[in-house]
Amino acid sequence: MTAGRLVKCVVWDLDGTLLAGVAVEEGDAPPPDEAMLGVLAELGRRGIVNGVASRNAPEVAGRALGAVPWPVGFVAPQYGFGRKSESVRRVADTLHIGLDAVAFVDDDPYERAEVAHALPAVLVLSPEEVADALGWPEFSPAVVTEEARARARSYGEAQRRRDAARSSGRSTVDFLRWAGTRVTISPATPADVPRLHELSVRTSRFNSARRAVGQATLLAWVGDDRVDVTGVRLADRFGDDGLVGAAVSERDSDVWTVRILLMSCRAMGRGVIEAVLACLARSATAAGARALRVPCRLDERNVPLRLALVAAGFRADPAGQDAEGLTVFTRPLDAPLPALADWVRVAP
Amino acid sequence: MTADVDSGVRDLLAEVTGRPELRELAAGTGLFGPPVDLDSLTGTLLLRRVRDRWGVDVADEDANLDALATIGTLVAFVADRVRP
Repeated sequence: MTAGRLVKCVVWDLDGTLLAGVAVEEGDAPPPDEAMLGVLAELGRRGIVNGVASRNAPEVAGRALGAVPWPVGFVAPQYGFGRKSESVRRVADTLHIGLDAVAFVDDDPYERAEVAHALPAVLVLSPEEVADALGWPEFSPAVVTEEARARARSYGEAQRRRDAARSSGRSTVDFLRWAGTRVTISPATPADVPRLHELSVRTSRFNSARRAVGQATLLAWVGDDRVDVTGVRLADRFGDDGLVGAAVSERDSDVWTVRILLMSCRAMGRGVIEAVLACLARSATAAGARALRVPCRLDERNVPLRLALVAAGFRADPAGQDAEGLTVFTRPLDAPLPALADWVRVAP
Repeated sequence: MTADVDSGVRDLLAEVTGRPELRELAAGTGLFGPPVDLDSLTGTLLLRRVRDRWGVDVADEDANLDALATIGTLVAFVADRVRP
């Protein structure tokens, strides 16, 4: 089962697209386009977040956007005279998502062409196409969990967290402590399976095997004594992100092998992947294993996972790939074990 | 060229971490671990900025990312590939 393309964020033009008219400096802001209101509400129900890219001056666009009670929030609004493709790229960067997880809607054919040319990975749509597109697989996640519905709010929290981190001048570790970071690692239960499946579909940067895992398989793993399914939850003073990651490990006497390691990109840079890797190394050592292996399908998307593995003392096997064509990263467990940060809680 | 790359890499490191004082570290300072503590987020941003600036794709050439061992190894890796 391969993870198909899923749109995680739609970036909208304002004038003539979300708004039934053109925002101007003076006078009343134009009303919203009724059809687009319905599309936005449905996107919100599916856990797809929305952004704005407008060439209006910030005060004009901000006033027009603020005059409408939209059914969803907008993350990382981009205003100003720059190219729309640059605005779309900034939204994707802000959300830590790939450009192939972004759709762009604009009534102006020139803007659509500019974005399609500069960012071929982005799905470019006219307002007439977008309602129809809701029926496409790209806009149809198989499951939508509470974590997913709360995504827009979570991205808002992430923006405030990033702003606070950049202005603090603190090291990452000091910032995470100041932010009241709480990472909780505990065995996954059957109730976690829909969210774990969703993570496997939606993650690419932190999906070691680069594949989706079906709910039946996950449920079987959760009930299998030889398999360790670990869930990780994340919260801090900015908000509660819920279940953001998981590791599925096969326990042999000598070697533990992580069949799939998943983490939401929301948890990037927040000490979560480090905590999971440290916890796995400690659990495997306590069980008498000598090495921890993480087979990975290497590509340009999961460089962040590779960075985390290398930082945690893993090395890629110089002999090459395993039977499934994955590159095996191994950490010997006789080396000093990584410490667990004081904000990490491991439940038995 | 190496001096330009050295200065550029230090600028990028300060930029992606938001910590200007990291510009002044010795070339032998490790990037993983204190005081830099490069993680998956800042590391990814650093590699992307390096690629945008010099066209050098560190991750593509180096599965173990050994070029990120220290400031000096990253500078040498980039300088070797941009030398005319």
